[in-house]
Amino acid sequence: MIEVRGLTKRYGAVTAVDDLTFDVAPGKVTGFLGPNGAGKSTTMRMILGLDRPTSGSALVGGRPFPRLAEPLRAAGALLDAGAVHPGRSGRDHLRVAARTHGIPLRRVDEVIDQVGLGPAARRRVKGYSLGMRQRLGIATALIGDPAVLLFDEPMNGLDLDGVRWIRRLVRGLADEGRTVLLSSHLMSEMEQTADHLVIIGRGRLIADASFQEVMRGQGSGRKVRVRTPSTDQLAGALLRRGAVVHPSGDGELLVEGVTAEVVGDVALEEAVAVHRLAEEHSSLEQIYLDLTGDSVQYRVAGAPELVAQR
Amino acid sequence: MTAVAVREPGTPAVFGRAAAAEWLRLRTVRTTWWCLLAAAVTIVGIGVIMAYDADDVYATGELPPATAAGEFGVMLGQFALLVLVLLAVTQEYASGAITPTLQWTPRRGLLLAARLTVPVLAATAAGVLLALTADITAWLIADLPFSPGDVADSLGRVAAVLLAGGALAVGVGLLLRSTAGALATVFLLQLVLPFLLPAFGVQWMADLGELLPGTGAIWMLLGEPDMTAGQATALLVGWAALAVGLGGASLLRRDAG
Repeated sequence: MIEVRGLTKRYGAVTAVDDLTFDVAPGKVTGFLGPNGAGKSTTMRMILGLDRPTSGSALVGGRPFPRLAEPLRAAGALLDAGAVHPGRSGRDHLRVAARTHGIPLRRVDEVIDQVGLGPAARRRVKGYSLGMRQRLGIATALIGDPAVLLFDEPMNGLDLDGVRWIRRLVRGLADEGRTVLLSSHLMSEMEQTADHLVIIGRGRLIADASFQEVMRGQGSGRKVRVRTPSTDQLAGALLRRGAVVHPSGDGELLVEGVTAEVVGDVALEEAVAVHRLAEEHSSLEQIYLDLTGDSVQYRVAGAPELVAQR
Repeated sequence: MTAVAVREPGTPAVFGRAAAAEWLRLRTVRTTWWCLLAAAVTIVGIGVIMAYDADDVYATGELPPATAAGEFGVMLGQFALLVLVLLAVTQEYASGAITPTLQWTPRRGLLLAARLTVPVLAATAAGVLLALTADITAWLIADLPFSPGDVADSLGRVAAVLLAGGALAVGVGLLLRSTAGALATVFLLQLVLPFLLPAFGVQWMADLGELLPGTGAIWMLLGEPDMTAGQATALLVGWAALAVGLGGASLLRRDAG
């Protein structure tokens, strides 16, 4: 269980995290989504007491993380896979972690096996690939067998195998009843992973709902795509029914505000041929873009129009 | 995953673990061993050279005590040991390893205590052992006067210099967080300025030089310049306390890194 209450972080005039309040429940994978620069990492760092909040608080298992005597038994985290002394072997890195908690050496080798680091664990970290560093970071997070896990962009830079492995891992951890907070800037990474979504943009909370609720919440703006040789006639009739109609080229119309049934009925009344009729479900990416569209901090000039057209 | 009510270890136990982890950190990077090798070569090497030089001056009747070998050796070789201590602090900021470190030991006061204790004591112990080795080498090779009393007194002063210098290095490292910046600062305060400032022959520069920690260290090891043991001790302790105070405040208050 993670409880975030009014968490705020300002750097001078810049507000990186703005009055965030949310809970992360056990037994689920909670996706922590937001565009780059939205404040995900800063929030995670504040939960772990690494960065000091300007105001607000965060509790891990009911207590502030920086006061814990055995923090690794409460929460494990992978924040930045590169943040390891390059000259130390992966196994030694884990041994240091274990020693801060009196964890036996046997557990070090257990987590090395669990993440599949194998013999590479005895090599120095400077020779590790990104994937190996991620695995080492995850082994470090798991070493204290914690009830809470935080992973910051764990799939970044991984190949497909690595991504699948992480998906299975976080699913397994949540199924064991642990609290899992998994950040990403890509909605697609969440599709097969997250049960619950906390979406932020420019440091503010945009959505805190189950995956299905987020999908459904955006479903009200469902669109219908219809292809007809008589676009003008059908568009006129639909407009009279109060629909919003966007011509989308090649004899197709994108209709908002009415269902596919209504479009079909109107076409029948108007005796207009219909070559295709389909409800358009917003894609995950589209929902995400719609939600965070206003909050994207760094955007290429001209890109907003692109978002609007889609 | 229900929270099992396990009794948490008390502060002394948490400090013990943090210190044990710090010791493991030191041992598991090659830098430490390179620094020790450099210190051994410098301290004992200078000691041996001292011994041969003393052999030359033997005919003049002037014979330095064997302890001069260890003291001259440490005057230069202390820097390899201070680099060892400094890197234990700043390398974590360079690599980002301070992030996991503070996740494992989030009680920053305890981390400061462990980081101050273990690397500084390790460097001091190494320095004292190497100084003793230099003394014995000088005694065996050059037959310099060697008395246990002298040696104990000399090693005590060597230890004082290394403890204070180590604390200075930890403090400056925590404050500046950059290896290059901290290294330059410690070198300037401990060696370069104390020797350089009086050399200009300008009074205020010489006076300024006498306020630096390195002047206290030079007095401890070489008996120069003219000051009392109390003044030299005040310089060493004062600067170490100032650096640890500022660096410690930085660790406790600033974001992790």
